[in-house]
Amino acid sequence: MKNSLLVMALIAGRRCAFPAPDVQSVIEIGTITPIPRTPDFIKGLTAMRSQALTVLDCRTAIGFTESEFPLDHRAIVASHQGDAYALRVDAIEDIGTAVSEPGSIPGGFGAQWANVSKGLVETHVGPTLLLDLGSLIEGETALGEAA
Amino acid sequence: MDDLLADFVAETREMLEASSGEIVAWEANPADTARLDSIFRFVHTVKGNCGFFDFPRLAKLSHAAEDALADCRAGRREPDRQLVTAVLAVIDRIIVMVDVIEAGEEFPEGGDEELIAALEAGEIDALDAAVTHGHSSNDTASDQNAPAQSSQPTAVQRSIRLPVDLLDRVMSGVSDMVLARNDLAHRLRQAGTQPTIDGPFERLTTILNDVRDAITRMRMQRIGTLFSAFPRLVRDLSHELGKQVMIDVEGGDVELDREMIEMIRDPLTHIIRNSIDHGIEKPSDRLALGKREIGFLSITARQSGNMISIVVSDDGAGLTESKVADKAVALGMISEAERAEMGRDQVLQLIFQPGFSTAEEVSNVSGRGVGLDVVRQNLERVGGTISVSSTEGVASQFTLQIPLTLSIIAALTVETGDQRFAIPQSYIEEIIHASSKALDFTQVGETALVTFRDNRVPCLVLSDALDLPRSEFAEDEFTMVMLRLANGDLFALAVEAIHSHGDIVVKPLAPAVMKAGIYAGSTLLDDGQPVLLLDVTSIAAENNLASDLSSRVIHDEFQAGQTEAASISRAMLFTDFSGRRCAIRLELVQRIETIQTTAVDCSGSHPRAVIDSAILPLVGLPNEPIETEKLRLLRLSDGSGQLLHAVREVEEAVVLSNPLRPIGDEDMIEAVTLVDGKTVSLIDGHELFARYGETPEATDKPLCRLPEGEWARTILAPLVSSAGYDIVSAPDAVEDVTIWFDDEYEAAAALDTSFPAPVVRLRDAPEAVEGSPTIYRYDRDGLVKALRQVRHTGGQA
Repeated sequence: MKNSLLVMALIAGRRCAFPAPDVQSVIEIGTITPIPRTPDFIKGLTAMRSQALTVLDCRTAIGFTESEFPLDHRAIVASHQGDAYALRVDAIEDIGTAVSEPGSIPGGFGAQWANVSKGLVETHVGPTLLLDLGSLIEGETALGEAA
Repeated sequence: MDDLLADFVAETREMLEASSGEIVAWEANPADTARLDSIFRFVHTVKGNCGFFDFPRLAKLSHAAEDALADCRAGRREPDRQLVTAVLAVIDRIIVMVDVIEAGEEFPEGGDEELIAALEAGEIDALDAAVTHGHSSNDTASDQNAPAQSSQPTAVQRSIRLPVDLLDRVMSGVSDMVLARNDLAHRLRQAGTQPTIDGPFERLTTILNDVRDAITRMRMQRIGTLFSAFPRLVRDLSHELGKQVMIDVEGGDVELDREMIEMIRDPLTHIIRNSIDHGIEKPSDRLALGKREIGFLSITARQSGNMISIVVSDDGAGLTESKVADKAVALGMISEAERAEMGRDQVLQLIFQPGFSTAEEVSNVSGRGVGLDVVRQNLERVGGTISVSSTEGVASQFTLQIPLTLSIIAALTVETGDQRFAIPQSYIEEIIHASSKALDFTQVGETALVTFRDNRVPCLVLSDALDLPRSEFAEDEFTMVMLRLANGDLFALAVEAIHSHGDIVVKPLAPAVMKAGIYAGSTLLDDGQPVLLLDVTSIAAENNLASDLSSRVIHDEFQAGQTEAASISRAMLFTDFSGRRCAIRLELVQRIETIQTTAVDCSGSHPRAVIDSAILPLVGLPNEPIETEKLRLLRLSDGSGQLLHAVREVEEAVVLSNPLRPIGDEDMIEAVTLVDGKTVSLIDGHELFARYGETPEATDKPLCRLPEGEWARTILAPLVSSAGYDIVSAPDAVEDVTIWFDDEYEAAAALDTSFPAPVVRLRDAPEAVEGSPTIYRYDRDGLVKALRQVRHTGGQA
């Protein structure tokens, strides 16, 4: 993990990071086709070339209220188990390098974050929460426990 | 080369590639049993495959290597360097032989025995000698072979194996290109015509279409690969059951999606088992019934549009209607009353119901608790259907309809609450606007009902089903999409608008979205906008619209058809050329046609028009010439006669629910009535056909007798036939018109010859002779006119 590249973003006001290999690209979000009868954190479908991306709001998925935070007009495109997702966050920051292995801290990060995080990594811009794409996408467990 | 053989070569190479690393590792460490296993598997498979193809030398070699390796695996023999070398020599030889087989050549004789001896001999000295010999002979073999191989590129079609992933990637790349091209096309249109760009762009479009076709074909496989296993299956099964069955497979060339082939493998196998087990009788029984001793099973595949139909038929005992019906009643699937109303065909479809199995005893061949209902379910899952037809004691026939691919389907795009959704075309029965009188929209309790062809059909508002906010849409502004579920249940889906219709490429959805349970996939429209594909079956099930028995057979359809005619009279509404709103009974209307105005012929006493190479009378034309290039026509038929009615505008089919008020003072009008609060004149069909109707001339051509001579045969005859006549030459035939050269006619008339049929006289000189009713022989128009006139008036030209 050490020295690996990270895509840094602000989610619900906190600095978070996705492992760069999970991230395909960062796109400008165009029209989003909503999907009725899906959980709130699934915002809909958007097209990236001929691919349909499922748009997720990370804040809602983790258990925050999205309206309380700003929204970046870009989204992080990440793939998990063959499906591509567009992740919406407060702001997409930069590419950073991890300078430590992910670790936990005494007292934890709080229940909501613990659900979606692999631990804390040190970067050049300070400590960052490393997110786990799989649990973020499942969303529901996080939602269930946050509720 | 034979497909199977090509497969064999490809498989052998592939395995060899995979195990070549193992071989090297094994050489380094002969005691490594894991490596030994994989090499053993290789020679074992080669040996097994050789059995199919009659390659005795290959079989012998691989068998010897297998024996030696088996000894090692069992611990009877210690693998040492010599053994490894011998085995490797054998594998090398196999490779060379496979190459030769692929090239379709003969392998040079000799050399095998030494290799085999090398494997078998335990003595080290003997081995060394043998192996070196083996090697050298092997080398010479490849040397001899080398020139032969270079001359190889004959008709052998080369093939490679590719991972499906890669194909998918290429496919989506091409889809991207198509989208980019659509975008570009849009921009080009906006920019106006630019010849320098439009030309190359057209070329790009053509190339892209070609590439897309080719890519689609890549995913296709001949269904023959699936069928090829069936003769063996049939042989084994019939053997096991003491029956004699001959199988005939047809249509193996039909291609369909590789994945689809996998999906239908089990259902087809099941149906074949079923046919042999339950359908075809034992030879003695067949002889007693006067049938051939050998049963006949045929499997046929046909492609029609984007569906493939596979028909499995046998000449066995067939299905007994009463037996099926009794059992269904006994199982509580249908009631006695329902039984009485069902036709034979409907009864037979009951065998696809869950829990139904006709065999009195469960045998280990077809009855393993898995019935035809599972077959049906599996087929429906991929968008297919199955039905059975049968003549008792003579034959039965299962028809499977399956889509060509899993990923491309025909779909209708509908709109509700500003959002679009796609519905697979296969479910759609009909689309009706809710304002139509045929559709009586009512609310019973919480359920909405519509009346469709005299049946109450549940109606689901799409925005409700999707939990979308209910729009301000008035009930009668909805468009009803009538959906027929695979089990025959019908329901109406109310949507706000119909958008477009076409083939869509279905892409999978993320699991989190699939959890909603009402979507089957997504697709991108031409403008790149994503659209969700609805899972109609799940939506119906969720709203309890599919009956509990999950499938009553369709039995209300033809009943409805019978009552409908009696109670409702429907009519086609149109505006004629004088601007009057008219209606004509729908039963009379066959088709709505559009023709070029030039196809109208006003030269005769009545106008006519040519449609589908038949000349039909045309009514309803305005007095002044028609200015438009095209003409809309209603093609009417009273069963035998046909005529055309020109209209300015076709409106729609309506139900005549208001009383008809007969009027007698106007020709051709039967009555006036109100439709949507406006008066409409109902055309009197009887009068219309009495006056103008005639059977299409194409079917009933009048006969014409021509004068003798070469000119008449080669020049006159084609003209006469094109004017709608058949030429007669037999002296005893009774003609409708005779053409004479004027001089011959006058000679004949001078001899007091009687002329039974009207006569058309042709003269040689262009100038007419005063007082003589003749036509110049090259006056085409005059001749045609004369012939036509003769036909209508029966008089003499």
